[in-house]
Amino acid sequence: MDPQLLFNGIAVGSVLALAAIGLTLTYGILRLSNFAHGDFMTLGAYLTWLFNTGISIRMGYRVIDIDGVNIWLAMFLGAGGTVIAMLIAEFLLWKPMRDRRATSTTLIIISIGLALFIRSGILLIWGGSNQSYDLPLVQALDIGGVRIAYYRLIVIGLAILAMIALHFLLQKSKIGKAMRAVADNIDLARISGINVERVVIWTWIITGILTAVAGGMYGLITTVRPNMGWFLILPLFASVILGGIGNPYGAIAGALIIGVAQESSVQFLNSEYKLGVALLIMAIVLFVRPQGLFKGTA
Amino acid sequence: MVGYLVFLTISTALFALFALGLNLQWGFTGLINFGHVAFMTVGAYTTVLLSSQGVPLVIAVIIGAAIASLLGLAIGMSTLRLREDYLAIITIGVSELLRLIALNEEWLTKGAFGVQRYPLPLAGFEPNLIGKIIMIGLLTFIAIFTVWQLWRGMRNRWREGKSIKGKSIQPRKRIGLIIWSVIALALILTVYVNGVIAISNYYNYKVGLMLIVLLVLTAIYWGLELLVHSPWGRVLKSIREDEEIPRALGKNVFWYKLQALMLGGAIAGIAGAFYAWQLTSVYPANFEPLVTFNAWTIVVLGGAGNNAGTLLGAVIFWAYDVLTREYLPYLGILNPTQLGPLRIMVIGLILMLLMVWRPQGILGKKEELTLGR
Repeated sequence: MDPQLLFNGIAVGSVLALAAIGLTLTYGILRLSNFAHGDFMTLGAYLTWLFNTGISIRMGYRVIDIDGVNIWLAMFLGAGGTVIAMLIAEFLLWKPMRDRRATSTTLIIISIGLALFIRSGILLIWGGSNQSYDLPLVQALDIGGVRIAYYRLIVIGLAILAMIALHFLLQKSKIGKAMRAVADNIDLARISGINVERVVIWTWIITGILTAVAGGMYGLITTVRPNMGWFLILPLFASVILGGIGNPYGAIAGALIIGVAQESSVQFLNSEYKLGVALLIMAIVLFVRPQGLFKGTA
Repeated sequence: MVGYLVFLTISTALFALFALGLNLQWGFTGLINFGHVAFMTVGAYTTVLLSSQGVPLVIAVIIGAAIASLLGLAIGMSTLRLREDYLAIITIGVSELLRLIALNEEWLTKGAFGVQRYPLPLAGFEPNLIGKIIMIGLLTFIAIFTVWQLWRGMRNRWREGKSIKGKSIQPRKRIGLIIWSVIALALILTVYVNGVIAISNYYNYKVGLMLIVLLVLTAIYWGLELLVHSPWGRVLKSIREDEEIPRALGKNVFWYKLQALMLGGAIAGIAGAFYAWQLTSVYPANFEPLVTFNAWTIVVLGGAGNNAGTLLGAVIFWAYDVLTREYLPYLGILNPTQLGPLRIMVIGLILMLLMVWRPQGILGKKEELTLGR
């Protein structure tokens, strides 16, 4: 396999992995297949871009310019904003509907409405043109003929860091254990004294951070545009299903497989059809092993 | 004005047709099809490309509908045995993939340049007096049929209101029923009178298309009404509510779901042919995922599992579309490029609010739908 394509695939796969972890957590713990997940990614990227490039607010005659901050701080602030947006959705939509014991189909339709709302809201506020971060230019490295773009390398490193942190959170911390318990069996978790509502809030916080960082990083290796996340919804669901719904480690493996497969497909396929690769993998998984490669919870 | 109303009638009728297919899939059978536009794409391109090669229009449309239902077969075979959300994901993917194919396979679809100058129905037809009288006769027939359907629906609701008095389910208010009937009658009358004026004085290609799409819509509506009130339709509804029960009664649930998906797909394929004829040139950009969600708004608004509700939803949707297109710019708050996103934002909001507060839509029966478990 062409090492260049492999490298690109791992970079894209890392972005997908971070977002897919969030999707699989909400899928497994809240029983919610969130079709707005990709658009939350877009929101994270736009907030990062906003904090990075600065804002100028017009108040009457006066124009207040707020300077942008460095990209890493911007990504951090963007993650905070995305978490707030996800918690608003939780309290206005998901919690009331869960309390009413709405069916999963009802939730799916609400999530697609939310996806339309967020995406066109972004279009309304920031317009449809491509945006890019305010970044210093860095020369790409060249290792044995493979062009290693600096930011792609950063993306991979950051994703590994986030995954290790998540691993320790899920395995060692109290809240992580509670999350796994709720995903496994919500009623059993509740009667063992786990505060399910608190677990739900923490799930959204973790999901929001990972999703926003994934969006911000996707903006680093491509451009920031209103439908960047929407076009990732299929690869994301494919990764989640490939890795077994509710299994974060499975989602990481699935995302890397999908990312590498998509990027290496450009050797023999029009690059416009990357989406078709994810669709094909998903169709094969559904035929051969619908429960996914690893053990899921839902 | 007459021409504009003709345009609106065609748009409403073809979207009603498109949404009737979705209503069969989602409203009656509970299948989450988020890629309904895929069937429309297949129907539109097949009709247009085949008829450009000299295939007669009627046969081209039938082949288009058949291929659309085969697409439903392919999607259904891979997903309908599994969880319901897999269908949603796969259909979104298929519809986007089909749009990408239409965009990139220029040898077949001419890509972003679009397909133009394909045969249109009744294109060179100049009706003489007898032809016009026949056309007006057909339109009158449709109008009488619609009024009859309206009367039947209203009578049922009236009786229902009488029979369930004093029980926990509240009947509809009588006054409300009368007001709704008057509005519906006024609407039918407007379309009818406008159609008669258009046929007799301003005949052009679009007027002929309007008559055809109304005839097809009437036929398919009637066929669907017969189907969903037959034992077959009751099985579909029971699958929507709880598929374990029909399975326990020995029904092949998978096969019924597949039939609903294929039939709904074929109807969307026919709607695609009309879409192409109305646009008179098709581009891949006409088949964005948004078209699917417009149909979803129509079905959810009108009431899932109610064909008359879907017609009502289509009327309200186009009224919303026209009014916001015409009057929103006068408010002057937003610049023109922001209006499109705002209108889509409102559609997303309507979809969310309806599912939270009124999942049965305007005409759906709350008692019949299991909306929570």
